[in-house]
Amino acid sequence: MHRSTTRQQYGDEAMTDTPTNVDSPDLDSCVRIGSIVSSNSHLDYVAEVYKERDCDRPPELHEREFGQPVFIKKTVDGTEHAVMGVIYDTQLVDPDQGRTGPRLAQDDQAQFTPGYIEERTTLAGVALLGTAEIAEDGGIQEPTHQMPRWTLEVEDTVFQCPDQVTVSFHTVDDQIQLAYMDRLLDIAGDLGSEVIVALIGRLRGMLPDNDPNQRVLDVVEQNVQWQAREQRGMV
Amino acid sequence: MADRSDVVGTVAGPGDDPNEFVFVTPSDKSIKTGEFITYTVPVEDEPRSVFARVTNRELIRGLPEGFLADPEVGPETVAATLGVPTDDTELYRLTATVIGYYDTNMTTFANPRQLPDPGTPLSIAPHQQLETVLPNLGCETDSTDVTTLDGVAHIGWLLNRPAEATNLHIPIEEFASTHLAILASTGSGKSYTASVLIEEMMRPTSRASLLVFDPHGEYDTLAEMQGEEAFQGEDGYEPSIEYYDPERLRVRISELEIGDVMAILDNPSNRMQERLSTAWRAMQRQESRTWGIDELIAEMERIYGDDDASVGALEWRLRRSIERNDLFHPEENVPLDEIVDPGQCTVLQMDTLDRRDQQLITTVLLRRMYRERLGDVRDRDSDIEHPIFALFEEGHRFAPASGEAPSLGIMRTITSEGRKFGFGLGIISQRPSKIDQDVLSQCGTQISMQIKNPSDQDAIKNSVEAAGEDVLRELPGLTPGQAVVSGDAMNTPALIQVRQRRTSHGAGSRPVIEEWREAYDERQREPTQSESADFGEGDSTGVQSLD
Repeated sequence: MHRSTTRQQYGDEAMTDTPTNVDSPDLDSCVRIGSIVSSNSHLDYVAEVYKERDCDRPPELHEREFGQPVFIKKTVDGTEHAVMGVIYDTQLVDPDQGRTGPRLAQDDQAQFTPGYIEERTTLAGVALLGTAEIAEDGGIQEPTHQMPRWTLEVEDTVFQCPDQVTVSFHTVDDQIQLAYMDRLLDIAGDLGSEVIVALIGRLRGMLPDNDPNQRVLDVVEQNVQWQAREQRGMV
Repeated sequence: MADRSDVVGTVAGPGDDPNEFVFVTPSDKSIKTGEFITYTVPVEDEPRSVFARVTNRELIRGLPEGFLADPEVGPETVAATLGVPTDDTELYRLTATVIGYYDTNMTTFANPRQLPDPGTPLSIAPHQQLETVLPNLGCETDSTDVTTLDGVAHIGWLLNRPAEATNLHIPIEEFASTHLAILASTGSGKSYTASVLIEEMMRPTSRASLLVFDPHGEYDTLAEMQGEEAFQGEDGYEPSIEYYDPERLRVRISELEIGDVMAILDNPSNRMQERLSTAWRAMQRQESRTWGIDELIAEMERIYGDDDASVGALEWRLRRSIERNDLFHPEENVPLDEIVDPGQCTVLQMDTLDRRDQQLITTVLLRRMYRERLGDVRDRDSDIEHPIFALFEEGHRFAPASGEAPSLGIMRTITSEGRKFGFGLGIISQRPSKIDQDVLSQCGTQISMQIKNPSDQDAIKNSVEAAGEDVLRELPGLTPGQAVVSGDAMNTPALIQVRQRRTSHGAGSRPVIEEWREAYDERQREPTQSESADFGEGDSTGVQSLD
């Protein structure tokens, strides 16, 4: 209870403190990465990455890389929210794998099988980090790193999260925050520390070099890496 | 008893020692090591407040040390970044040792022989209760207004509490009869503490008869007590402070014992010693108490003949050591009835006397006073008909561990027997290791201040019975003005801050830099003198020794 009220206060201030970008990102025009196909838990979803045939502009490799922040739009009780997440794992699926016999189709021809054309897909694991309200100017406001209460649905679109939105989601009261870290470490399992290091690397690149939060991020990164190495028996 | 708002912690369980228990407190209840806490247990169906002393404090829950990696980034910033709550997160595990409950019949602590159950609420011991039970005041309840008691010395307040919150009043009678030791390294406030005690003893409620042996002249500000309102009694009492400078200090030769004389002579031969002791005993058997060296030599010549070589050599030594020393006189003596009187503090200023003379005058005075006290107790005619208390600054000079002082014997006698005759000693010293162990171990009450020297700490450990390990552990860490009071005057040792003196303090260090600069300026102002040429032959050797 206590925590949520303080966060509410922070949120209000964050609204005013967050630097309003001149070229405010329009959340509608963000790159679509894929759509939700299944989930492993309330916070752990699987998205299928869009290919050529699925949309006008499928994401490029660097737009759906490991550690890429993403968001899914949800309208809850009349208010548009962005459910924030991160790509913490990827997996390739090839139904053709292991079939080494002769084929009817030529190599340059698409493969015809009942119901599908070209089944090779990439799946991306998306861990949910928190939520924010979508503001009228297209940005976000009142970010919270508490566990999202709403469930995503199959075929919800996963968007690539622009840098400004990533920064505003991580900034509470001028202070960088990664309060979801323990949950993320838990969901991401073996790659937990790597996804956090990747996220911190991104945030660092987005913040100015002389930002005092840079040093805070250094300390957090050190801690995460050290703990990971300890767990893996390195030190 | 304990209203839940007073509760500062909860008992977790027994500790390592039979008298130890462990309890847990959140960070906002800041409890210092050495603090007194209390809980209630039923003893013979009656609820009793048991006191315990906190001995150790460790963090059991707090932010990980990895958060401290960058000195410029506070751990709470890192915690905020990770959403780790920082308010009231720290939990402390404290260890406390049971002192006991105050047994009103025995007027001291009794151990309940039972540790508190897990979950027992603990509170900080209230001021008034501690004021009553810590010193050995013999109160009949465990919470008395001790300021109304007579014969107590307000020496300071508990160190862990705010200034003047829990004041410690120690019973003057206890330390004045079973002797006192003030042990501290130089500059940590020995003579300041002693002066505080003198002030308390001279107040109208006590009106002590005090004698201060002051080899450094540090107690000359005590006279400020005279005329001070705090020291005046309703019946017109006012303390009288007498100063005896070396000019007024005299030792009558007949008061010396043969051992004292031997100690001041230069290497007397065996034959000389034999001659001297025979003659000295003969002189002491005489009716007259006012004989001098002339009479002594005449007696020796009478016994051994006037051409005896040893007598001749003795005569020269006696005249050099005794007759030429103003301290010794055939007739004059320090009048005892002048130097000791109730409500009077006499300071014997011995700063210009050399060490041997200081020891001799002390020896003779102590011996005479002890004789008078003995006489008084045995209903004989006596010059001193009231108990007395003598305070020795630089106590190791008068009772040295090396044994090389004529005063050591009488000091040992008084510390071991003086209690019965109303003769108390107070030893002040910065070198406990150099004080005779028999004398030090007989000092029933100890005020120990900062002592870092390990051999001095060992001396305290070996000779001071009441000094437990926890007292000794505190000694190196004390700062000037802080002290551990232990022994007969206390029911349990306590760490205190010595109170402010009412009179000003005269024994501080000299302002060296200031004095150097002044002296330099002085020199610069003097007209330069051309030195006359020295036409002397060779080096001057000064006054030649006649030996």
